[in-house]
Amino acid sequence: MDYVSPIDDRTAEPVAFAEREADLAGRRVVLLDITKNRGSELLDRIEHHLRLRGAETFRLSKEIFSKPASSEVIERVAIHGDLAVEALAD
Amino acid sequence: MAGGAHPFTLERIDGDPVSLDALTEHGPVVLVFAHGDCPTSTLALRRLAALDGTQGATLACVAEETPEAAARLARRTGIRFPVLSELAPFDVSRAYGIETVPTAIRIEQGAGVTGAAVGWDADAYAQLLGADLPDGEPRRKPGCGARWTYEAAGGLDELEDMLERGWSDGLPVVPPTPERVEAMLAGRDAAASLGPVPPAHGEATLERLAACAVLAGCRPAFFPVVLAAAEAALEPAFNAHGIAVTTQPAGPILVVNGPIREAVGLNGGMGALGPGTRANMTIGRALRLLLTLTGGARPGGLDRATLGHAGKLGTCFAEQEEASPWDSLHVERGFEPECSTVTLVAGDAPLSISDHRSRTPEELAATLAWAAASHWSPFWWPMDDVSLYVLCPEHATLFGEAGWSKERVRRAMFEATRRTAGELRRGETTGFVQTSADDQPVGKWSSPEQIMIVVAGGEAGRFSAVFGPCNGMQSQVMTKEIRWTT
Repeated sequence: MDYVSPIDDRTAEPVAFAEREADLAGRRVVLLDITKNRGSELLDRIEHHLRLRGAETFRLSKEIFSKPASSEVIERVAIHGDLAVEALAD
Repeated sequence: MAGGAHPFTLERIDGDPVSLDALTEHGPVVLVFAHGDCPTSTLALRRLAALDGTQGATLACVAEETPEAAARLARRTGIRFPVLSELAPFDVSRAYGIETVPTAIRIEQGAGVTGAAVGWDADAYAQLLGADLPDGEPRRKPGCGARWTYEAAGGLDELEDMLERGWSDGLPVVPPTPERVEAMLAGRDAAASLGPVPPAHGEATLERLAACAVLAGCRPAFFPVVLAAAEAALEPAFNAHGIAVTTQPAGPILVVNGPIREAVGLNGGMGALGPGTRANMTIGRALRLLLTLTGGARPGGLDRATLGHAGKLGTCFAEQEEASPWDSLHVERGFEPECSTVTLVAGDAPLSISDHRSRTPEELAATLAWAAASHWSPFWWPMDDVSLYVLCPEHATLFGEAGWSKERVRRAMFEATRRTAGELRRGETTGFVQTSADDQPVGKWSSPEQIMIVVAGGEAGRFSAVFGPCNGMQSQVMTKEIRWTT
């Protein structure tokens, strides 16, 4: 039986994880605060541990937690980081 | 599973038809029966795609799909071994008794079927293939029904098929056959697009929207309302992304105004927020299915609602303009009275407010306002976004007979709710409360404009309701004109 699918097949593809880094020494890591409550505290702790592992860190924030990051923010993440960590929290 | 081999020849997606004899000519073959609507099939094929081809048996996939769909399945899963297309009535699957996909069977010339694995079972597959499989979880997962099993003696069990495909919100749906979708479209351009639907950004073609409306149980006459609601939901300022993925039990609330209410049988009277009316129950559901299926906001997936609530299935009602002493919502928002509109508000679960005792508008305004005092969180004052009040006709009449305008009601409610920052400084509270002096009065809302009022409900009974806001979403209320003809 044929049906009209409500689903866009392009969204059915799972997005693969990027390859994990074996060594963080000398790598630039962007820490993106999505502006949820206490997200910055979580990032403080992560930043501390990243620096212990020799990573260089750079902090950025989204405009508002409930909306996707703007293209400007995404561009800045790409410019300043080899890797990125996004903090949720609450 | 053991038994004789059943000869077959099936079309290969990238070559000439292939027979079982050809597949077993140089040794045992492991046939993996699968189809593209089955997540376990996809999982199994992805795992098998990682094999390097040196295993002890030839691998081949029998996809219960058209050659085109079988090719898509191969691309999605990355498999490079032969893929054969099996079409209805699925004689090969039936002959081997394949009731579940994926099922793998090992066949050897002269010996017939010498082993089988049903669903995904990494150890059983390794044994069939004579090869180690790469590590990875899960090691086991139950499969799905093979396509021919849908065809019971009485015919295709379409309702089960819909649920198995995941084209549902958990309730039975109406299968979106091409005929039903065409009737829903009523001559509109099926390929026209309303744009991407958050959060996964599937494209909302009118055909997919019509499929959602069919699934939801809409009549074609409802489609203009569904279409306008989808347009409103996809306005970036509505922030459907945030509403779709939030942990809050939030969803779009649809309020319909104008002559189309009567034309499609939308209920704004007794039980307007509850069950019993097809238009109310299916129009909001169609929008929810668009967000869930086309937009990918599946509960437990990208929809991260901690609890959710039953109204997320879809909430749609008509304003009972005739029982309102004030301009209706759409006129208040700048539309002509004879215009039909749908207004979307991002809201929480409704709270019922009983007030059968107040005899003055001041008392009633205070009751209504204080009911919302615990919204979002009891000490979270002020809230940032819109609260939608649905006043029952008796409450609206009390205000109307006192000569109160809607604006006056709003202001009285706004001013009725005041507590001091000192009382509120506990648990979850706002930055404003935290930084204010103890005796600083704080209101539940930042401004009277955050109190939105419509009228609906049965003529007897003094029960109003309020939908709490999607706090912090910055979701703007959206009103769209419904383009329709009788």
